[in-house]
Amino acid sequence: MDYFRAVYVARELSPRALRLTTEALLRNPGNYTIWHFRRLVIDALDSDLVEETLFVDNLAEANSKNYQIWHHKRWLAEKLGPEAANDDHDFTRFILCHDAKNYHAWSHRQWVLQKLGGWDKELDFCHQLLEEDIFNNSAWNQRFFVITRSPLLGGLSAMWDSEVDYTIKAILQNPSNESPWRYLQGLYKGNPDSLITDERIPQLLLNILKENSYCVFAWNFLLDVLCKGLRPNKEIEEAVKGFTELDDAGSSDQDLPTRICSALERMDPIRVNYWAWRKSNLTL
Amino acid sequence: MEGPEPSEFAKERHAAFAEMMLHELPRDYASQEINRVTLAYFAVSSLSLLRSLHRVDKDQIATWVLSFQAKPKETHDVDDGKFFGFCGSRSCQFSEGPGQSVSNLASTYSALAILKVIGYDFQNFDSSIILESMRSLQMPDGSFMPIDSGAETDLRFVYCAAAISSILNDWSGMDREKAKDYIIKCQSYDGGFGLIPGSESHGGATYCAVAALFLMGFIQNDCNSSLSLPTSTIDIPSLVEWCIQRQGADGGFQGRANKDSDTCYAFWVGSVLKMLGLYHLVNKSALRTFLFTCQSPYGGFTKFPYEVLPDLYHSYYGFAALSLLEEKELGNLSVELGLAALN
Repeated sequence: MDYFRAVYVARELSPRALRLTTEALLRNPGNYTIWHFRRLVIDALDSDLVEETLFVDNLAEANSKNYQIWHHKRWLAEKLGPEAANDDHDFTRFILCHDAKNYHAWSHRQWVLQKLGGWDKELDFCHQLLEEDIFNNSAWNQRFFVITRSPLLGGLSAMWDSEVDYTIKAILQNPSNESPWRYLQGLYKGNPDSLITDERIPQLLLNILKENSYCVFAWNFLLDVLCKGLRPNKEIEEAVKGFTELDDAGSSDQDLPTRICSALERMDPIRVNYWAWRKSNLTL
Repeated sequence: MEGPEPSEFAKERHAAFAEMMLHELPRDYASQEINRVTLAYFAVSSLSLLRSLHRVDKDQIATWVLSFQAKPKETHDVDDGKFFGFCGSRSCQFSEGPGQSVSNLASTYSALAILKVIGYDFQNFDSSIILESMRSLQMPDGSFMPIDSGAETDLRFVYCAAAISSILNDWSGMDREKAKDYIIKCQSYDGGFGLIPGSESHGGATYCAVAALFLMGFIQNDCNSSLSLPTSTIDIPSLVEWCIQRQGADGGFQGRANKDSDTCYAFWVGSVLKMLGLYHLVNKSALRTFLFTCQSPYGGFTKFPYEVLPDLYHSYYGFAALSLLEEKELGNLSVELGLAALN
């Protein structure tokens, strides 16, 4: 560290200084001052950036949650330009193979997509990760990122219909998976009127509740759409009344949202206080 | 080794652990040397929460912390866009005298937090250089860089800037409106916040977003009435539901959907609910049970249940989470500043 201090204070931008930063960074990859100085040296020496990429990728593999390393990768990517985008995506794909939820890798990947491109295979990548693990919330988030921001897909409005179908399929695969429920909610945020007019929604909820009457996410979603103005059809009404008729005395006079909140208080005991609070806010 | 009863808070053991970590860190922390001041903040604030600050010499701590303050050589260094806050480590101080240190926002927050916890009198503290130079760390989109030489910008540093301004009681160092605009962009489709716009909702990022808005005065803690008002800043009902959904069947809080519960999120996510005036919605008994499965027999807390070796970060946030639960052996917390209130 003292050797490094000496070249730093002297502002020596030489091959020797570069080697010193290598040594120092191998011991302390979190030191942002050393990284900054290394960048000054690289610029001054016009060093081989491909070699530098190999160096930082090796460090990133061993320290995949280190902010400074990822920032250095970003700096390099910017210098290397759009031609390097695919190699960079290959690297983050490699990191995500070992840790599919690595927050740094995902942030970096999003940055490279927006700055340097490489969007064409991204939706497929998300799909592949979801095939491997439908519970991977990072992959769901990335999917939302792609459908809303990719210049190749036309934006949320263009993708909306097929994404609703995709998400419904995922929900049916495993109704206790929170991620696709949130994703579905997210899709309708841009289109709130269709949430209460889209036939697919009550159909989905009825399908699930028939097979699994204790599915908290389904009841939660039904509660939300009723609160947003869904006019329940006869089937929905019967499903709610049928499930909740053994509830508290006097429940026959209660409206559907109130009944659902009471049912959720029992079905989802960790969140009993939340459902009671939702119930008390229904009249607001 | 005799451990504490499963549901008994081992205060003495925790205080001994925190005191030891303040004086000397084990070898495994060497890679964290750059964050020395932050680690000290965890230890000092822990001791305060444990009502054990009398174990340490506050004047000595103040002197030590102040020795990390970076000072400019010339007044025009500030105009050059350099930041003069606190360094996190001796490894960012390059020689005696002004102009040779590289300070950053996170260690500035940690340093000021330590001073606040030990009751340092800020009357004679000249904060002007910190605040003036902090302005150059704010980006056009409202986010903050942690250092002047370029680094990632994300919600963590927006929070640090807001906390620094709050502790120094001076908002001249940041543009609050721009910061708010950036925070709003970080709210995800599911109601939580990511560290940057487009990122996955995350407990720590959500804390940074809400605490920063709270400190800057953009949200209040009475969500019961604000729910019926149109949202002018963020989607609060979705945020509340996202937070509540983080509490798992094991009673603990997860940082992201479909991940394991981890001690620290009891603070990060619990605090968001506290700031919104909705902490009573948490299942407190289940949370308490979970936290005690993370209590280490060596003092401190672990990340996950039934692990043995504690770490300082999870220990601090374990104490903080139990303080939110009003554990009787613990003092009060300033939730939005993430530090022990004067106990």
